[in-house]
Amino acid sequence: MILLLRRLVTSGILLIWGIVLTYFYFSGRVQAYLHPNFHLALMLCGLVLILMAVAVLGVSADEECGDPQCCGALNGRPISWKNGVAWLGLVVPLLVAVKVSPSQFGATAVLNRGLVEEAAGLPFERPQVGPVVEPALPGEDPALALSPAMDSSTYLVKNAKGQIKVEAMDLLFAAEEEGLRGDFEDKESEIIGQFLPAKSNNPKGDRFNLVRLYMTCCAADARPISVTVQIPDLPKVADMTWLRVEGKVTFPVEGGRRFPLIVADSVEACDPPPDAAAY
Amino acid sequence: MSSSWFNFSFPDFSYSFLSVLLEGIPFILLGTLLSGLIDQFLPARLMARLLPRNAFLGSCVSGVLGMVFPMCECGVVPVIRRLIAKGLPVSHAVTYMLAAPIVNPIVALSTYAAFRGQSAIEMTALRLGLGFFVAVIAGLAVHHLALKYVLRPAVLESVLAFGASAEAAPRPQGIGARFGAALRVAVGDFLDVMLYFVFGVAVASVFSTSINQELLLPLSVNPWLATGTLMSFAMLLSLCSTSDAFIAATFTAFPWMAKLAFLVFGPMMDLKLVFIYSSVFRRRFVVGLLVGLFILIGLLSVRLGGVLDL
Repeated sequence: MILLLRRLVTSGILLIWGIVLTYFYFSGRVQAYLHPNFHLALMLCGLVLILMAVAVLGVSADEECGDPQCCGALNGRPISWKNGVAWLGLVVPLLVAVKVSPSQFGATAVLNRGLVEEAAGLPFERPQVGPVVEPALPGEDPALALSPAMDSSTYLVKNAKGQIKVEAMDLLFAAEEEGLRGDFEDKESEIIGQFLPAKSNNPKGDRFNLVRLYMTCCAADARPISVTVQIPDLPKVADMTWLRVEGKVTFPVEGGRRFPLIVADSVEACDPPPDAAAY
Repeated sequence: MSSSWFNFSFPDFSYSFLSVLLEGIPFILLGTLLSGLIDQFLPARLMARLLPRNAFLGSCVSGVLGMVFPMCECGVVPVIRRLIAKGLPVSHAVTYMLAAPIVNPIVALSTYAAFRGQSAIEMTALRLGLGFFVAVIAGLAVHHLALKYVLRPAVLESVLAFGASAEAAPRPQGIGARFGAALRVAVGDFLDVMLYFVFGVAVASVFSTSINQELLLPLSVNPWLATGTLMSFAMLLSLCSTSDAFIAATFTAFPWMAKLAFLVFGPMMDLKLVFIYSSVFRRRFVVGLLVGLFILIGLLSVRLGGVLDL
């Protein structure tokens, strides 16, 4: 009877974990938590755990040795209140977190991490800039191979209004690289991010920060990347509200530092984009 | 922004907690499945026979095994637990456990990519070299300790029982039965390690979301303070060794030796690992390992900073 109960508990724990993992994958909720490189592994892990849960139930009593060395400390000991607490510890924190987690950071964690406002603080490889020079193919005119970089209009994505859809990361790189800056400077653009009040670099009080979280592996390593938006009437929204900003991208120099500043024509609340946490 | 050094938010905590759980669980499952297979299919003492008998050479070979069998810091613990039970010397196991999350091709590539433009080749070589060196030193130190001071009583029992009975222990007959037994072992190890993992991640998530990281910046001007700060930071953040280089590269205010210490210390010891290691080792040993690694890596990193100019 005790062996059966132990098997049921073990199987239940594996089943709960397996269901949670597969739920995260198939519901798409995983996108807010993990880099896409990990999504498939998570789904496979969930399925394997469900299979293991079924297999554990199928073990006959005479195969169950009950030895802690073989079956693990939790699995091999007699049922006790200590093991009961341990079993709950494996399930309750997970389920509470699944229920409570808002799938995005609030202002507290973002401000604790510090806003990244310069390209040097980005957790990514720097893009190559300048003219792309391909070696000439045999028989090809070398002068053709030394042609300047391709027209930016061919790779910049635009919205229905013809505005360039920019990302905060692109603008931080552009502030430091003249070659990239030309792609965005004084161009009508659209950018989506989360609102935070500007606590510095805001002499007239008409600026706020627009933040996007960029993750390397999982949300725990995400860095808040921020660009400054300027508009006479600041939006009256809660911290971390998703906003769509339309306006012109500029790169002024203030305090000896060049930074991206979006002079906004319109700011409106919007839904989080599908890739709320950018990778 | 609040200047308080500690600002806790439960929703932020739960988000970070869940993301690390979801990232780590596939690796732990892989490690525990491997531990089940090791238990049933790896001939007893094979590892001990293959590795050099000399403690120093054995530790050196264990230190580079990660290049052939790469494991992350979460997944490696159930594997070494089973290898120890299979007769692998504990000193070799400790060396492999500490080195594998650093001395492996995936981490080498990610470190190189993250530091491109910041002496990437030198940083990658120093990370792998220092990680290997420290792991070997730690393994040799463990070699001189009695097992009862190192292993948890339950793990020690399995080692002693193995020493007494060696291959005499009855094994299930037939391949199906052995896979069934491997599954039972894997499930047992998985539950044991997950318990420590869940609590370790919870503690790490409290700190990683609540500490005001900008208050650390003034500490970057002094090499000793900078190195100690980033090592403590690695401890609190509990990042995965495949991604931590991308975070370290952004600490632009800190000198390179502090970043190196961050990259070597983090995969060997962090808050979640303190809990996971406790599933195999005695708590006092884990604390001693923490202090020893902190001092050794800190000293070596600052010393390298005085010798090399990157």
